[in-house]
Amino acid sequence: MNPTGRFLLATLAGLVLAGLVHIAVVLAIPSLSESDALSKARTSETLDHAMPVYTLSTGINPAPTEAWLPIPDPSVAVGICAYNLADGPMRVSARTGALMLSLAVHGRRGAFYAVTDQAAVRGALDLVILTRAQYDEALANEDENDVSRDVRIVATEREGFVVVRVVAALPSQRQAANEAVQAVSCTIDSPTEDAAKSGG
Amino acid sequence: MSTTDHPARSGAMPDIAGVAGRGGRAFRAVLRRTSHVGLVFYTLALGAGLGLATADYATRGGYPFGGVSVGSWIAWPRTGSLGADPYARAVNARRGEIPLAVGEGLLLTASQDNQGRTLTAGCTYVIAGATPPARAWTLTVAGRGKRDPERPVLREGFTSTEVLRDADGRFSIVLASDVQPGNWLPMPRATGPVRLALRLYDTPVAASAGTVERSAVPTISRTECAE
Repeated sequence: MNPTGRFLLATLAGLVLAGLVHIAVVLAIPSLSESDALSKARTSETLDHAMPVYTLSTGINPAPTEAWLPIPDPSVAVGICAYNLADGPMRVSARTGALMLSLAVHGRRGAFYAVTDQAAVRGALDLVILTRAQYDEALANEDENDVSRDVRIVATEREGFVVVRVVAALPSQRQAANEAVQAVSCTIDSPTEDAAKSGG
Repeated sequence: MSTTDHPARSGAMPDIAGVAGRGGRAFRAVLRRTSHVGLVFYTLALGAGLGLATADYATRGGYPFGGVSVGSWIAWPRTGSLGADPYARAVNARRGEIPLAVGEGLLLTASQDNQGRTLTAGCTYVIAGATPPARAWTLTVAGRGKRDPERPVLREGFTSTEVLRDADGRFSIVLASDVQPGNWLPMPRATGPVRLALRLYDTPVAASAGTVERSAVPTISRTECAE
């Protein structure tokens, strides 16, 4: 083979390799990234309420500059609760108020469940996120006479986060929106507590 | 490359052809001396360099594709769901973005007016019409990069409750640098491109963004430009 032919062959091989590298890098970015929402959310795992991610500016307090959402909506307060189902099922409880509230459950691959306050029963919205095994256990332990108002969601992955969004339609509601995000509780449903409850 | 059928350029062409010929001869000489190892290195460097550069380019900034075009707007219904394409997931991961889930809302962005011209801060735009059904919506404007600390933030957007409407429920927002009567949305910066974002919260159209009609989204029309 003459030198030019070899060079062309090498270029062609390089282009094919570039395509493979491109695909591999794009697929690997979500798991390697340290600036993605899941990695940043992990710091909130120890909290028992939603960690504010984007706090709305109110009359005296401007919006924090360290907020990590790239282009946030200036009238929607955002909070986040990270979960790790290895510790037990995650219970997210929100009281609905005058402001529109939505909860979205994100896994590593994206959001797999979302619900707004219109689904609330008597002003309360209770989500329980569990693995398939925990779900089966909860079904087995369930008392048939005891009506549960929980919305049970089976997660395919152990790690993820719940996003709370509260819309402040008017600037005067921003304070209330910030408080509504903080008021959402994210706790680990411990099985012992449930057992004690059903026993007593 | 033929030089004979371009009589007007024939004076300059022999020189260029000569340089190209010398360059080509030198190039072929380099190739002849290059060993197989050199070519393998060249292949690896080309593959790694080009692959990394294109992957970086495709996942930097906004979503490269996956949008549904509706009038001047582009709807992004799948960026937050499990069905998101790998590029959207990579973009989200790099920016730390938390996209709206399908049951939560729908994001529409616009970087062009209704005639396909890029939205720039030097012009005045009227955003008029109605939005698809939603419990709440917000329409915001943002420039690229950091905001100018010298420029006071008067207003970044309108919500569905704040906006002033006509008797028939339609609205018209004026995006301009100078104060305007009615719904005035100040330009976020003095120069450069700007983008509009329309976020619909708790909307039934999120699950079927492809069926939104042009008439259901606001039109963006340029009225004047300060040159």
